[in-house]
Amino acid sequence: MRLQRLWLTDFRGYAAAELEPAPGLTAVVGANGQGKTNLLEAVAWLATLSSFRGAPDDALVRVGADEAVVRAEVVADAPARADVGPGGSEGPGGTGRLVLLEALIRANGRDQVLVNRQKLRRARDLLGSLRVTVFSPDDLALVKGGPGERRRLLDEALVSLAVKHDALRGDLERVLRQRGTLLRQAGGRATPEVTATLDVWDAKLAELGEATGRARAALVDRLRPATSAAYDQVATASASVTLTYDPAWRRCDGGLGAALAAARAEDLRRGVSTVGPHRDELELVIDGLPARTHASQGEQRSLALALRLATHAVVTDVTGSSPVLLLDDVFSELDPDRSHALLAHLPPGQALLTTAGPLPEGAAPGLVVRVAGGRIVDGGAPGAVAAGAGTGVV
Amino acid sequence: MYAGPVQDLIDELGRLPGIGPKSAQRIAFHLLKLPAQDAVRLSRAIDEMKARITFCSRCFNVSEGDECELCADPRRDTHVVCVVEEPKDIVAVERTGEYHGRYHVLQGAISPIEGVGPDQLKVRELVARLEPEGITEVILCTNPNIEGEATAMYLARLLRPLGLAVTRIASGLPVGGDLEYADELTLGRALEGRRRLE
Repeated sequence: MRLQRLWLTDFRGYAAAELEPAPGLTAVVGANGQGKTNLLEAVAWLATLSSFRGAPDDALVRVGADEAVVRAEVVADAPARADVGPGGSEGPGGTGRLVLLEALIRANGRDQVLVNRQKLRRARDLLGSLRVTVFSPDDLALVKGGPGERRRLLDEALVSLAVKHDALRGDLERVLRQRGTLLRQAGGRATPEVTATLDVWDAKLAELGEATGRARAALVDRLRPATSAAYDQVATASASVTLTYDPAWRRCDGGLGAALAAARAEDLRRGVSTVGPHRDELELVIDGLPARTHASQGEQRSLALALRLATHAVVTDVTGSSPVLLLDDVFSELDPDRSHALLAHLPPGQALLTTAGPLPEGAAPGLVVRVAGGRIVDGGAPGAVAAGAGTGVV
Repeated sequence: MYAGPVQDLIDELGRLPGIGPKSAQRIAFHLLKLPAQDAVRLSRAIDEMKARITFCSRCFNVSEGDECELCADPRRDTHVVCVVEEPKDIVAVERTGEYHGRYHVLQGAISPIEGVGPDQLKVRELVARLEPEGITEVILCTNPNIEGEATAMYLARLLRPLGLAVTRIASGLPVGGDLEYADELTLGRALEGRRRLE
């Protein structure tokens, strides 16, 4: 999967910008606060329909504008998939199929997405047309943060593997909200009406939760060897890395349904759902010790990086097409050894990286893009706004 | 902010479902430009509807009298009842021309977030209809979303012990469509609910 061209209109600080990334590595350079990350954020938005920095839609629209437009030409190298929408039916698939993706991100109101100029009924129908793997300075939270960070890693990877997981995740969240509200409304009293209604939500939660658990377990089985291999590549010292996904409810006879029944009194008393996939943990262990509490800062950084690389490898393997790698300012967080190791083991395929400092040793980008004041001043698409503006040579 | 009455109307329109502040403003200014008799006709239509339309005492469809047209129709099969969330769903089912039984409008779906439980729906009224009307089959025709499915499951569990046939409408592909245009969820459901060809 390759991003051939990117156009931005009124996205973040960019009034208008155009970029033609290299087939291999593109480096986006410039001082802090000039808009480097925004380029990566726009690409990732098309892939995930959200900002990897957690920004709401209205923060993505340039001040004074009503909507931002992100448009991209993507060369798909995977077989055509029905879920890319009407545009996906153009050809028999195979290599070199060019798809034009467009997103109108509105400050107020619904976003609109188009594939090959065809409006899609729902924005989420765009998922699967472009896949990305994002490395960001916040990735350390994958290891140091709470279990929610690791669940998000798994669930986002699942959506990259198969779009149906996005709907599963949405349905699960909705059932949990309904069940939680009912528990709070019950105020600890199990009236016949509350019991009968809870039975229904429990049945739904059990069905969706079991499906989520199965998907997560299968993914972790694939991630385990991949993470171990990636860790050995990026870490300065070799270590044994183990991933464990084994929530207690999955070991329960009768599965989640039985676990929910057993927890009902407690759930009613506390007014929250105490059991289920929303409380799962992915345990990370380095040399027999929990990485979150016992690993050194350096080991934690290596493991976070290894998890991203492993996810990338698994998605590439399963879908037969490597996602576009987006490395946001990762070298500021890594020591020279790990930066070097990351660049040396960068998976094949397309990558875009941003850096405020000099490029690490060993980086040989096919294109260097210089960004200043919300404009691409050098290295943008030929004939675009950059013409004549850039004098600095990188 | 506009002169009192204009702003009042914008506020009222903005409370309607699917109408945001901008649409409310556009509609208000459209009405302002309208000849007086056209505006009065609209306001009279609203008044009349509120004054004359109530809910059918049997099925809770909208009705001009005590009983709606469908319940009063002697040609309808009284042994089958189709349970829907809203009166507009009746219109959708009627358009098929495939159904000749009666209806029951729940007036919503179970959704704790919106404060709706079985007691807020016309569930008790449905159960009360079963025996006197000699109903033998209940078709659960709630929406195929989380709340609609939960409501259907609740009703199925409630009604099945009463010894009548409880069925759920199938989910699947639109007729005349192409498989390649189907979203993966619908197609997945259709696969799940596949049937042996006789």
